[in-house]
Amino acid sequence: MVGELAGNYSAVVLMFGFAAAAMAPALFVSRMVSPRKRSNPVKFLPMECGQVPSGEGRTHFMMQYYPYILMFVVFDVMAIFLYAWGSSLFELPKSATLPMIGFLGIMFGAMAFALYQSGRRRIW
Amino acid sequence: MSVIAPDFRLSGFIRSILDNAFWALLLANLVGIPAIMMVLFYIEMPVINGELLTPFLAFTWLADPSRILPIVHAFMATDLFRVMAFPGFGFAALIAAGTIFVERKLLAKLQLRVGPFYCGKIEGILQLMGDGLKLISKEIIIPAKADKPIFWVAPVIFVATAAAFVALIPVAPGWVVADVDLGLIAVFAVIGFFPIITILSAWSANSKFPFIGGIRALFQMVSFEIPLILSLLGVVILTGTLNLSEIAASQSVFPWIIFLPVGAVVFFTTMLAELERIPFDLPEAESEIVAGWLTEFSGMMYGLVQLGTYLKLYAFAALFVVLFLGGWHGPMVVPPFPEEILTEGIVMGPVTAKIPGLPLFTQEMLNGTLWFVLKTVGVIFFILLPRGVFPRIRIDMLLNLGWSKLIGLAFVNIFIALGLLYAGVLGPGGMLPQ
Repeated sequence: MVGELAGNYSAVVLMFGFAAAAMAPALFVSRMVSPRKRSNPVKFLPMECGQVPSGEGRTHFMMQYYPYILMFVVFDVMAIFLYAWGSSLFELPKSATLPMIGFLGIMFGAMAFALYQSGRRRIW
Repeated sequence: MSVIAPDFRLSGFIRSILDNAFWALLLANLVGIPAIMMVLFYIEMPVINGELLTPFLAFTWLADPSRILPIVHAFMATDLFRVMAFPGFGFAALIAAGTIFVERKLLAKLQLRVGPFYCGKIEGILQLMGDGLKLISKEIIIPAKADKPIFWVAPVIFVATAAAFVALIPVAPGWVVADVDLGLIAVFAVIGFFPIITILSAWSANSKFPFIGGIRALFQMVSFEIPLILSLLGVVILTGTLNLSEIAASQSVFPWIIFLPVGAVVFFTTMLAELERIPFDLPEAESEIVAGWLTEFSGMMYGLVQLGTYLKLYAFAALFVVLFLGGWHGPMVVPPFPEEILTEGIVMGPVTAKIPGLPLFTQEMLNGTLWFVLKTVGVIFFILLPRGVFPRIRIDMLLNLGWSKLIGLAFVNIFIALGLLYAGVLGPGGMLPQ
């Protein structure tokens, strides 16, 4: 039964594999057709608009929006859990919706609080 | 006047073509055909005309008219055909190529540029071919300190993930590559891979602009994933299923966009952000960070990333059609096939070859595909249009829009759906038919 369920998804994997197998030769053909000149080492430097690149390529880069990533970790899971409720709503009694609305209210309130905190730049 | 190739000789050119044709034929006969025979030997073959298909019969299928159509029918029923051709990769790649062609022309017209109208004299009809030849014949340059395996693999994985997304989209009744019960959740799972691929390729390039672009892409896709997920919950509440084919089939009378316009607007906006299109093209902002996470990709690697992007665009537009615009439903416009074609076959010219079973597809499938493609092309047009009209917005405005406004509207949409269900308008035993 479990294998049957997983077997349904084999077509997705097949499509993934087919696309990879069909597209990888394009890179090899391009490599064969196109010119390859290794005369100039400057050519292989990272692009920095004509300047000689300075410093490391993989630097620490402060985006200043880190709280949004933390919020994503919490609320993405919540959003997926809501689907378990939404897809079986026809079978549930109507009284089962009230606690769910309470849950939605708690999560929505928590999200508003997190958004407010993420706006206060000086505390993080 | 400069001469491109001073020692060019027509005779030498023709000889090289003949040489290449000779070697190609020789290799096909000595290696290609035996290899196909060997592969066919291990594949489970169907029964055609009351006899089991052997590799020899399969290989000489063109020689016998009575065997052609049954073999084609048997092949069309396989998973391989669905993956390669019709609802799968071939169909999606065709629409993606058409989208690239139309987008170049449309934007050139909107911005009064004449570039894309040169190639091929008549309105630049060869532009797409020119683009392809240019991309495949350009040198692939890899930055010196790049992480080479990841950098090479990232474009291929990007195309493959976009193709896995396409696999979940039902095009016509019964015509879907992977008909899974949790189709919508599978779609979310596949969408979740795109930020990872983007940040990996950006990190592997060892360059500053791709890195900044990759981080921007991560923030943007991650922030808009929650409104994307929440905006589709309304449709699931009203249909009670996660299977995309069943969701499309449930809209035979009216599409869900009539009852859930808020959800449709939220989904469309998040779709633009997930596709990194203007006004949300921060990860590729040309005027700020060169080309964002695509800066170090050159030649065919860039071409593959573009193909993946447009496959993804088709898949998102098709998902919008399936969820909100009624999928394949539409008035029947394909005329019914004459009865004698179905039973007797077509009588062709002086040779009266009677080939029954000629219309390879049923009337419903052709009609469904026609309406699906028409709606998808319409949605794709509305995705392309902002690129010629809107400016780019700032990243703090983007995050504010995604987290405050769109999530709020998505919650409103959930309560609209719940209200429609509990007021007895829709759902099982509702006032309106479904």
